[in-house]
Amino acid sequence: MRMLAVFEKGERIRHIGHLDIQRSVQRGLRRSGLPVAYSNGFNPHILVTFASALSTGACGKREIMDVTMEEDVSEQEFMEKMNRAMPPEMQLSEARAVDRKHSSLPPMLRAARYDLLIREEKYAARLIDAIPSMMARETIPAMRKTKTALKECDIKPLIFELNGEGKHLYATLVLTERESCKPGMLMEALCREANITEEVRVLITREALLGENEEGKLVPLETL
Amino acid sequence: MDLNERFERALEKVQKAPRYTGGEMNTTVKEWDRCPLHFGFCFPDTYEIGMSHLGLKILYGLINRESWSLCERFFMPWTDMIALMKEEELPLLSMESRRPMNAFDVVGFTLQYEMSYSNILAMLEMGGIPLESRDRGENDPIVVAGGPCAFNPEPLADFIDAFMIGDGEDVMTELNRVILERKEKGLSREECLKNLAKLEGVYVPSLYQVTYHEDGTIASVKPTCPEAPASVKKRVVTDLNHTYYPEEFPVPYTEVVFDRIMLEIMRGCTRGCRFCQAGILYRPVRERSLEKLIDLAEKLQASTGYEEISLSSLSSGDYSCLPELIRELMRRMKEKRVSISLPSLRIDSVLKESLEETQQVRKTSLTFAPEAGTQRMRDVINKGVTEEDLLEKVRDAFEGGWSSVKLYFMSGLPTETTEDLDGIADLARKVVAEYFNVPKPQRAKGLRVTVSTSVFVPKPFTPFQWAAQDTIETVLKKQEHLKQVLNIRGVTFHWHEPYVSFLEACFARGDRRIGAVLKKAYEMGCILDGWNETFRFDKWMDAFRECGLDPAFYANRERTKDELLPWDHIDSGVTKQFLWHEKEKSDRTETTKDCRKGCNGCGLQRWKGVCAYANAGSV
Ligand code: SF4
Repeated sequence: MRMLAVFEKGERIRHIGHLDIQRSVQRGLRRSGLPVAYSNGFNPHILVTFASALSTGACGKREIMDVTMEEDVSEQEFMEKMNRAMPPEMQLSEARAVDRKHSSLPPMLRAARYDLLIREEKYAARLIDAIPSMMARETIPAMRKTKTALKECDIKPLIFELNGEGKHLYATLVLTERESCKPGMLMEALCREANITEEVRVLITREALLGENEEGKLVPLETL
Repeated sequence: MDLNERFERALEKVQKAPRYTGGEMNTTVKEWDRCPLHFGFCFPDTYEIGMSHLGLKILYGLINRESWSLCERFFMPWTDMIALMKEEELPLLSMESRRPMNAFDVVGFTLQYEMSYSNILAMLEMGGIPLESRDRGENDPIVVAGGPCAFNPEPLADFIDAFMIGDGEDVMTELNRVILERKEKGLSREECLKNLAKLEGVYVPSLYQVTYHEDGTIASVKPTCPEAPASVKKRVVTDLNHTYYPEEFPVPYTEVVFDRIMLEIMRGCTRGCRFCQAGILYRPVRERSLEKLIDLAEKLQASTGYEEISLSSLSSGDYSCLPELIRELMRRMKEKRVSISLPSLRIDSVLKESLEETQQVRKTSLTFAPEAGTQRMRDVINKGVTEEDLLEKVRDAFEGGWSSVKLYFMSGLPTETTEDLDGIADLARKVVAEYFNVPKPQRAKGLRVTVSTSVFVPKPFTPFQWAAQDTIETVLKKQEHLKQVLNIRGVTFHWHEPYVSFLEACFARGDRRIGAVLKKAYEMGCILDGWNETFRFDKWMDAFRECGLDPAFYANRERTKDELLPWDHIDSGVTKQFLWHEKEKSDRTETTKDCRKGCNGCGLQRWKGVCAYANAGSV
């Protein structure tokens, strides 16, 4: 059996990188006493994977871990034991037991929904006002960081949805194993559209990870 | 903009932000207003070092356990954070509730090494607390300190209000009660300090007056009020089984230096190596029982989820039921995939069997500390280890599948000659030969012998407390020689820069006057001196010059028998007379037996019921 569990990466620990989140989950699983499966070898580790790595600096509302169990347990038991074992900033909100053969999550990932809180209020309205004109453009160039260089790309086809209200921008952006639009790339393009040259600080929260159901609709990945 | 928002902004720009954000598993954020006493635990180095420190975990748990006190942590920020804090006008904030240091009733520093002293000044200043005790007012926290370096408190006498000498577990709570009493009854700072001086094991430097001879040596140290004792006795916890030990450790998100369960199996050491300060300060030897340790290990494993347990003590091989302990721990931890490591495994511990068991789980590199290259030199320092011992253990290890061995030595020990340095190379060569003696199919691939030499620093409360340290010039020459003779295939040589060790020697045996140098150096920008990239030796030398003090007076001068040493009014339990006796034996290349095999009369036998091996009346 595998357990797909939805967990939070809270604001206080948003600067923790993905590797450290992985290790914290490993240790949380060890503390929980749940019958998890281990890898073989000299440094055995628990068989747990993540649907997607979340960047350093971003909060996550519904991140997903995928834990292989040695023995079956109920979803409720998993939740209870894990929530006792995880720090307050990394609590679970849901767990779903699936078959060991359930397809792995990263290839099913299509998009992510973000809430971008604009720290400098004075820019919020200007940014929101710039959305329609930006989206009306044929192409929206942005710089993509690769391991070695910056590369220009067009993010227009990577934006599923973009709107704003008050101090918030809400965006659904492509996120797959092959390509993605990072919130930073979106902000860069939007600032240019709004003629803002100063750096605009945003608090990024990844609200949900999305996959595609049979009808081609974007739905939460953990439900697929 | 409020404090929290400015802090958040600094976090966005700083490198390694998780050092500053807290919220780790098993940390405690108690309600501020419900706890009358607020203790700020300060580790004067970075988060990664501080969170590796066992003492922090013990005292953190101990203070938070009391309903009336809370403990929050402070660490030394790195230079980039310090700059950002200036930019945002931020004070140093606690990890838990993000309050500034001066909001606490007590702030306590742990003194693990001399090179962290400038960080104490930096943290006080960033915490909004006047640097010097005499400038602190009624609303400022009481600043206390403890740990091994507190045994010579004099270099910090201007900055610390009260020192705790010896084991902290009991005195910590007593001290907090006295400070709580001040708060409740509205006592003055001075009254509170006098009350603290009445506690056994507490030293309040402002209540003593020091006079000097013309040559700079000390003429007298005298209490200036009846509350302060002429001699301050260290505190000793006699029964470790009934002493507080945490059942949970905070688990950092990021990797720290020692990121595992530390199980203190015993305290103290009976070997009597003459260079070793810890060996004297932590006397007598006290063991935790097997049952207690197994129980703690299981609880800690369940509460932390750590994948490794290390046994911690000065000399784990001497623990009386070590093989049973290791076997039992392995049996219970196997299911949980927890490995057991023995960090300070001594080469003369009878452990072949357990070694074989260790490898079931993980094969780390083995560490041996012969400390000196020749038998003569090892006799001078009373390191009871022979070459045959060492080679036998190394052979066992190579036969058992290890291929990586680390050898630790000291250079600059009293009476050291070129022959002793060459002895280090000889020993390394013999270790390499042992590896090649194991038939090829049986041995693991990739031989790695690492030889590390540190520069000897004479420490207070050791038989070498009177000795001169080698000058920097001499050290450099010796290192050059070592580099040449250690150019051996399969051997990597590491050495320590002599500059830090020189400064360490100054502060280890410093007196009150050297506090001015510390302050001057700090004002000139010296901080984080334990780190290569921030250590500024030239500035330290400037500071000595400006204060009119000669560092060689502290580091390179041999003391006479009758000199009053700056720490003589601190009673470590071991007498000065015993230490001198040991020094004389060392001069004659005579060894002293392990005192488990018979009491050597170090002085602790005077304290009734403290040392289980003591034999009153001897020597
Ligand atoms: S009193 Fe005797 S047995 Fe105890 S530590 Fe001192 S020398 Fe060793």
